[in-house]
Amino acid sequence: MLGQQLINGLMLGASYSLVAIGYTLIFGVLRLLHFAHGEVFMVGAFIGLHVVLWFAFANIYVAIAGAMVVTALLGWIVARFAVQPVDKGYPLAPLISTIGVTIVLQNLAINIFGGEQVAFPETIEQILYRIGPLTISSVQIFILAVALLSMAALWLFIDRTRMGRAIRATSESHETAALLGVDVNRVVVVTFVVASALAGIAGVLDGVKNSAITPHMGLEVAVKALVVMLLGGLGNVPGAMVAGILLGMVEILTASYLGTSVRDFFTFVILILLLLYRPTGLFGTRTIESG
Amino acid sequence: MFDEYLRSVLIFAGIHVIAAYSFYVPFKTGQISLGQAGFMGVGAYAAGIVTAKLGLPFPLGLLAGGVAAGLVGVGVGFPALRIRGIYLLLLTLGFAEIVQVIILTWDYTGGAQGFQNIPFLENALVWIYAIVAVLIVFFARLERSSLGRAMDAVHEDEMAAEVMGVDVVRVKLFAFGLGAFIAGLAGALFAHYSTYVDSVTFNILIGVEILMFVLVGGGFSYWGPLFGAMFLSLLPEFLRALRDPMELIPVSWTENAPWNRVYEVVYEFLDFENEKRLIVYGLVLVVMMILRPQGLITRNTMRPFRFVQRRMHDA
Repeated sequence: MLGQQLINGLMLGASYSLVAIGYTLIFGVLRLLHFAHGEVFMVGAFIGLHVVLWFAFANIYVAIAGAMVVTALLGWIVARFAVQPVDKGYPLAPLISTIGVTIVLQNLAINIFGGEQVAFPETIEQILYRIGPLTISSVQIFILAVALLSMAALWLFIDRTRMGRAIRATSESHETAALLGVDVNRVVVVTFVVASALAGIAGVLDGVKNSAITPHMGLEVAVKALVVMLLGGLGNVPGAMVAGILLGMVEILTASYLGTSVRDFFTFVILILLLLYRPTGLFGTRTIESG
Repeated sequence: MFDEYLRSVLIFAGIHVIAAYSFYVPFKTGQISLGQAGFMGVGAYAAGIVTAKLGLPFPLGLLAGGVAAGLVGVGVGFPALRIRGIYLLLLTLGFAEIVQVIILTWDYTGGAQGFQNIPFLENALVWIYAIVAVLIVFFARLERSSLGRAMDAVHEDEMAAEVMGVDVVRVKLFAFGLGAFIAGLAGALFAHYSTYVDSVTFNILIGVEILMFVLVGGGFSYWGPLFGAMFLSLLPEFLRALRDPMELIPVSWTENAPWNRVYEVVYEFLDFENEKRLIVYGLVLVVMMILRPQGLITRNTMRPFRFVQRRMHDA
């Protein structure tokens, strides 16, 4: 039973991780809470759904690719038109601007797709595998594989490419990075694009997992991903990966042993204790004095 | 005096103004709270228990709502002393979520079914705007008092304020507690106007909206929260009012004319009860932050209206 729950927790945690990585990347580069990130996740889910519905040839891989392209574009638009033009001298102004984007995206989605819950078609054949006492489905394996692959790809990008190095440098210090020849504005845009594409993947995976999506799905994931970002340490990408999985498991375990209503309570108590006693996150890799 | 619809619009705008001031007080000392909706929830439930469960008159309920929220505020304010910036934002967000979960699971006040049968406040409009007036006078006085100056000093530079003899801990706790108290009043008023509240009523989006009221209006002048909350609460009505003159255009002008489609699209955008209007609202926010990140009203904006001219930096 415990093993089964841990697998469910892993599923939940994988989507938290993907969204939280985006948050933490953007926070690292801009010290900005990108409030609309959850809505980007929601848009990803809907694009994935409609790719599957519109195109006869489309399988789940095409859906994920489509969602990535659209959310990446969305990330570019948000960065260029809602974040970069805002004067950074007012620390809260970009936050309000992304709140504006949240309102726009959510209501656009309600307008276009309707406010109701929509079923996500079954795109992967359900096969159940039994490994000892555990049962794992092909859908779960697929979700986990895609999530882990995306995280691995991101890690390679951040760690091995020139752009990845530029992103890391910019996270350390805008001024120093700029002095060393990094085009900081471009880094910011690329960060938004990458983060948004990851959220898009997470959205489609969430649709596959829950077989239903709504235009309101962004907020809950966004709030949970914020907790994950903090758990992993602000701006710490590997931290967010591990912390997401951890939170997913904790939530599933509390939900199954203590009840669903206790789950969120527990999550936010963790958040508050963490803020008070370990604001650098579980791994304590970086200290950022103020947002 | 007003028709029913306009009255309810004005009542909600007034509650928004009070809620905006609840954010403004801690913000004056540099504390940013996303959790004001949580304090509203505490106030609403405390007031509801006093009036609906204990059968006491509304003024006592209002007071109970404010005091309960204020006490919880001081309780949250203590840990909040240690952290700032985005950490405080997240702490208050977590607080609001916890309040929601407690409301949801507390059977005494209806749990998931919500708190029903809260007595209706007949003259809500008068109560609300009386409180708004008191708040404005209070903040106008505070602005020029030593306490108000101390709060500004803490916002600018805590260390320097401490060195100058400001008791930073007391000032910040006072601000946080007073903000929560005011939020409690707003929650109590809301509960007794709508007669029903549940865990979703005070969700974190409400907290976000309150933050928006102040930062759009301008957080560095006590007129900012009033103006921002009024502006954003009435903006949908303004947009709708823009539509009315369009109806005066004779049908023959637009029918079959090439601009007919444009007319229809614009008309639909300004339509009330339409998510498209909210899209415009979101876009207005983005554009405003690009053009005027300091908020609509700053101290310098209000300077021409002062009798005694004083030099002050534009925050």
